[in-house]
Amino acid sequence: MNLKLAIFKPMLKLAMERTGHGAALGFKLTKVGRGEVEMTFPYKEEVVGNPVTGVVHGGVIVSLLDTACGSAAITMLTRAAVTPTMDLRLDYMHPAQPQQPIYVAAKVYRDTSNVMFCRGSAWQDDPENPIAHCVATFMKVETPSISLTNIIRRRFNLLVRGNKAFEQEADK
Amino acid sequence: MSDALEILQQGLNKARAASSPQQILDLIPYSSFIGAEAKIEGSDVIYWLDRCPTNIGNPSLPAIHGGVIGGFLELSAAIEILYTLDVNAVPKVVDFSLDYLRPGRYKTIYASCTVLRQGRKLVNVTATAWQDSPDTPIATARCHFLIS
Repeated sequence: MNLKLAIFKPMLKLAMERTGHGAALGFKLTKVGRGEVEMTFPYKEEVVGNPVTGVVHGGVIVSLLDTACGSAAITMLTRAAVTPTMDLRLDYMHPAQPQQPIYVAAKVYRDTSNVMFCRGSAWQDDPENPIAHCVATFMKVETPSISLTNIIRRRFNLLVRGNKAFEQEADK
Repeated sequence: MSDALEILQQGLNKARAASSPQQILDLIPYSSFIGAEAKIEGSDVIYWLDRCPTNIGNPSLPAIHGGVIGGFLELSAAIEILYTLDVNAVPKVVDFSLDYLRPGRYKTIYASCTVLRQGRKLVNVTATAWQDSPDTPIATARCHFLIS
């Protein structure tokens, strides 16, 4: 792993596992490489989408795949930029089993000057028999004003002061 | 019939009789997890999501998680089916396509849905999300659901 990824992985882990929606869902970042990310979601009763079967709501899969693809896109950057999602398309192949974790993997398969093309899949027992797969595209919007030190300062602020810091920032 | 199915169907009938899409949302745990709410406005159902720290995405920009916007639209589309069509089981989502048009800022998101086609097995629904005005949508989604 190169130096940039070595710094990047704990930052991404912090952002995903300790703050916001990722923390609420209990996402775990298990692998980060250049253009590749893997994550796990433990089953949670609170996000059931079908009260009859206990299957988690599709929104959880959307969040998982959006996060994994978006994170994979960020690892490709060589300059200060943000990578908003342009679009995301998901196919649900079969329902998830309740009470079992969901694993996802995402990969950037094409990186161009303005757009990154990603695909991701989600599975439980067998990666060859996915519950869903997706394709997503991300813009590269260069932001010279966002420096690494600035990002680290904000992350640190969030970690120490929690979501309050975020709400104050949003109200500015 | 299982107890859970019976509770769901009774809940659906009650919600339709009371003209309350909110009562359908209350049957689905994911709704309260993200904080989705619904009301009738004219002949449409308006869904909304107040801002909430557990829906934050990238903490570096004050933005709502893209997955929450997607999940909210998918949920709204399913509720639209359950509320407006004679369907008595939670629709199964087959595919979901989402275009992000503007950043989802950290404030209330609204959504409305339209059932474009209802077949015997399949329903096609579109959902649009906005914040300031319906004329400046932040995302649009299209989904297919299996019913029956």
